[in-house]
Amino acid sequence: MDPILTSRIMSDVLGGLTNGVVYGLVALSLVLVWRSTGILNFAQGAMPMFATYVGMGLLSYHLSYWPCVAISIVAGFAVGGVTERVLVRGLYGKPEINPIVVMVGFLIVLEGAAAAIWSTKPRGLPNPFSSIDYQIGGKPFGLSDFSVFEIITAVAVMVIIASLFRFTKLGLQLRASALSPEVSRLLGVRVGRMLTLGWMLSTGVGTVTTILVASNYFTGLTPQVMDGVFAFGFIAAAVGGLDSPVGAIISGISIGIILQFVGDYFNSNDIILVALLILVVSLMVRPNGLFTRSSVRRV
Amino acid sequence: MAASATTRRAAVGASTGVLAVVLSFAFASSTRVAVALSLFLVILIKGMVLLTSAQLRATHPVIARAALTVVVIDVVLFATYFFPANTNSNLAIGAAMSIVLLGLSFLTGASGQISLGNGAFMGVGAFAMAIWANHHATSPIAVGLLVAVVSGAAMGLLLGLPATRLRGPYLAGMTLAFAVAFSAILSSFNSWTGGDSGLQLPTAATPPQWLLNFFGPGTSLLTTNSMWTADIAIFVAGIAFFFMANLFASRTGRAMRLIRDNDVAAELVGVSLPRTRVVAFVVSSAYAALGGSLTTLIDNAVSPSTYSFALSITILSLVVIGGIGTIPGALIGGIIFAYSNSVITWITNQTGLNPQGNLASQLNGIIFGVLLIATMLFAPMGIAGTVRHLRHRRRRRVPG
Repeated sequence: MDPILTSRIMSDVLGGLTNGVVYGLVALSLVLVWRSTGILNFAQGAMPMFATYVGMGLLSYHLSYWPCVAISIVAGFAVGGVTERVLVRGLYGKPEINPIVVMVGFLIVLEGAAAAIWSTKPRGLPNPFSSIDYQIGGKPFGLSDFSVFEIITAVAVMVIIASLFRFTKLGLQLRASALSPEVSRLLGVRVGRMLTLGWMLSTGVGTVTTILVASNYFTGLTPQVMDGVFAFGFIAAAVGGLDSPVGAIISGISIGIILQFVGDYFNSNDIILVALLILVVSLMVRPNGLFTRSSVRRV
Repeated sequence: MAASATTRRAAVGASTGVLAVVLSFAFASSTRVAVALSLFLVILIKGMVLLTSAQLRATHPVIARAALTVVVIDVVLFATYFFPANTNSNLAIGAAMSIVLLGLSFLTGASGQISLGNGAFMGVGAFAMAIWANHHATSPIAVGLLVAVVSGAAMGLLLGLPATRLRGPYLAGMTLAFAVAFSAILSSFNSWTGGDSGLQLPTAATPPQWLLNFFGPGTSLLTTNSMWTADIAIFVAGIAFFFMANLFASRTGRAMRLIRDNDVAAELVGVSLPRTRVVAFVVSSAYAALGGSLTTLIDNAVSPSTYSFALSITILSLVVIGGIGTIPGALIGGIIFAYSNSVITWITNQTGLNPQGNLASQLNGIIFGVLLIATMLFAPMGIAGTVRHLRHRRRRRVPG
């Protein structure tokens, strides 16, 4: 067997890729909301967390795994839509601090409510796939059934979102209302609905991400399950540029791989430090992100 | 006319002062108490005389602010002598937190930037104080506080440099990442920070001998110590508020508000955006660190779990609820923080919730979150800002 396939480097790359697609998904969901409404959603981790509790809670009512996943995603759409209608609607055009503060408040309310209803005890989600690494010639190879599933799911979500935006009339309307709400309204696009839809999609993507994260045997589902992942996802989105979905995914995957090496060769405590360093350095070099085309702000 | 009014005020002040001293000595139980009482009254009267002069407020605002600070410190320090120990420790916690809040309030209110990491900056100060005290056991408290302020400012500068080019959401996200990373940072410097268990101060902050003599024998250690830490915290908070009030009104403060309202216009009139932004960020971090170091002093120990991301959000909530960019707002927030645990316990008792239950343990976060959202949606100026707004409106309605 080729020794390169079972080397430490290869296993780090593959492990990093598995984490990286998750960061990329979180970054993508942040970009979706940012592009459509100009708001950085700090509750982007907590809203899907809540939806996942609702959906996966049905497991204890003898519902099987896949229907629960579907219900979770629908709950995610609902949470996103309701949040946009009730909380966010009044915040458009306000100083940029206002939505940040409101969404941070929503984050702690959701985490508090989830802990009050379902307790802070980690809840293990049944994992439909094995997490044991594949063996090549008796040596572990950095992938398992579950991580392959994780990567395939993430790529599928990315492809679905991309084709929705690129190839459908709905996607065109979504892009138009983000680009120029007034002209779109003039041309008959229901801009309000498009904004709601943007939040629904974003929370739906977030719910898929949360299920992937919480299916990990070591974390389980907790009210704070997405806090750390959100931080990495935000770093990925900021490094890539909040305007760029492709940038979000690429930098999410790159950061995942870099951090896997850091965790393996240094210390697990250093992971978040290096992530912070990447963020600080990249923001100093390019404050609007590496993949954003225009960096000039209109006055 | 003005001169005679000033003379009259001075005469009234002097005679009231003399009267106060005479009365103190006549009625106090001992010479010591009489000296303390007359000192308190003379400072109070002198301050009030300065404060009531409209002319002084207009021509020498710094002196007027100093007078206000001295009067407030004077009254509150005097009051701590009579307060029970738990009131004093609440007062100390409130004073320490109000310094932190003032820093964030200044950053957000004056320069329009937002930080979700001030809990971590508070932790920087708290640990700097504890580490310093453990390495220099005999060093005076003031030096420890100064070390904490300098470390907080240095950390703020480090993170603030990229902040000079960042706009709201990016800066908020970066400070959030810092807050989340803070516990890992502490673990990385295990040998200094004491790991998960944190650090103890080598000696508790005890009042000096003359003050203990003043209390007389038999006063419990708890009473004297809580009074002493409260006095330190209030004194330091007074100075911090005095500096901030002047900074708000200074050229730098005006430049910051201009940046907040229109950064292009600010640059046009020659305000350096990067420098002003970084100054605001560094000041806010230094204030957070100062509040944190006082907290170490009050608790006599520091634990890494205190300075979690949740604390950063609590700080933000308190600033918003109190009123962003207002000085009274920071005080209101500090008081809310000091009494929030008692209020939560009261609510739990009144509603008959199981205090160990899920809901009771989450009540603090849920209530702060709801208040934060409600304030931002319905009264974005917070308590202090709304009160000021209402007062201005009423004043405008009255003709003449």
